[in-house]
Amino acid sequence: MAQEQQPRTVIDAFVIGARRGLNVALNNIAPNVVMAFVIIQFLQLTGLLGLIGKVFGPVMRIFGLPGEAVTVLVSGWLSLGGGVGAAASLYSNGTLDARHVTILLPGLMLIGAQLQYMGRILITAGMESRQILPTMLVSLIVGLVAMFLFQFIV
Amino acid sequence: MNKEHLLQTDEKVTWVSYAALLFAIVFFSGIFSTAKGWLQVLDFTVLQGSFGTIGEGGKEVFRGSGGTGARDGFLFALTLMPSVILALGVISVVEGLGGLAAAQKLMSPLLKPLIGIPGICGLALIASLQSTDAGAGMTKTLYESGAITDDERTVFATFQISADATITNYFSSGAALFAFLGTPIIVPFVVILVFKIVGANLMRLYLKKVGQKTKNSPAAA
Repeated sequence: MAQEQQPRTVIDAFVIGARRGLNVALNNIAPNVVMAFVIIQFLQLTGLLGLIGKVFGPVMRIFGLPGEAVTVLVSGWLSLGGGVGAAASLYSNGTLDARHVTILLPGLMLIGAQLQYMGRILITAGMESRQILPTMLVSLIVGLVAMFLFQFIV
Repeated sequence: MNKEHLLQTDEKVTWVSYAALLFAIVFFSGIFSTAKGWLQVLDFTVLQGSFGTIGEGGKEVFRGSGGTGARDGFLFALTLMPSVILALGVISVVEGLGGLAAAQKLMSPLLKPLIGIPGICGLALIASLQSTDAGAGMTKTLYESGAITDDERTVFATFQISADATITNYFSSGAALFAFLGTPIIVPFVVILVFKIVGANLMRLYLKKVGQKTKNSPAAA
């Protein structure tokens, strides 16, 4: 936020942050959520969502989730907004319930946006290519383990 | 999103900073969400309020029910905006009052035992909780200035890549799911932070096993 003025008062600080929130919501969240809703709609109308649910059902059961929840993790891996959009859409059409969403949230955040982060973190920080794969694997493992354990708390 | 202004290290930590940090934790924890009387204003979901209702029986907000596709997605995104605006506004106030500097001061001595990176990474770590790019940029600077070794950089990057920009993303994108959660909103957030630390330690173990070159180099400090 180099172009932003330094806040002088509490009100200034709030408005600056609020503006950042509006920008994020408008430019990042809304487009990704719309995309995710369209993808879920597409999968549902083509019958692919049911197929995904069946195929991934046994795997996702490990985390206490229905098979369709895999779409949340995959779209979340690509973009966080897409992941939450998919989760919200599946909640709206009754595929996921509140407990499922609660289990998914930490996993989604931990696995989220890894594709972008490969460039934005690992390359920026100057890591060598041999270190990149283990780093991303660890983050995947951590996300899955977090969901697995969290299901027993929720 | 944030840039270099986070590199400043001379921020004074006073009692106001600790009060701001405490406020942030209480505000987002949900412990006052069902409080009676004035105490409830100390809660995020209370201040977030509610939409007016429409439709028969007044059960629906403007998004309605039974929508699908792009239109429903867009209206859903609209319902999120007030929460995101409020959350990032409050976080900005907490930051302005030094709340994050206080968190940094409390965290720094714990970094070595907790994730095996030196305390000097505290500022970069707190920055990374807010902004992916600020955290990554500062990590590069720390390595290039010799403050951290190659292995420490890898461990630190592993910490960052899982749920990076944790505060910002959780209270913006993550906020999309707050309405459906079965727990107070702070619970998944704490789980995320714990597993970021777990991830960094997995990487530590892995590096120890692989026996990286820097292990033999005493220049590591």
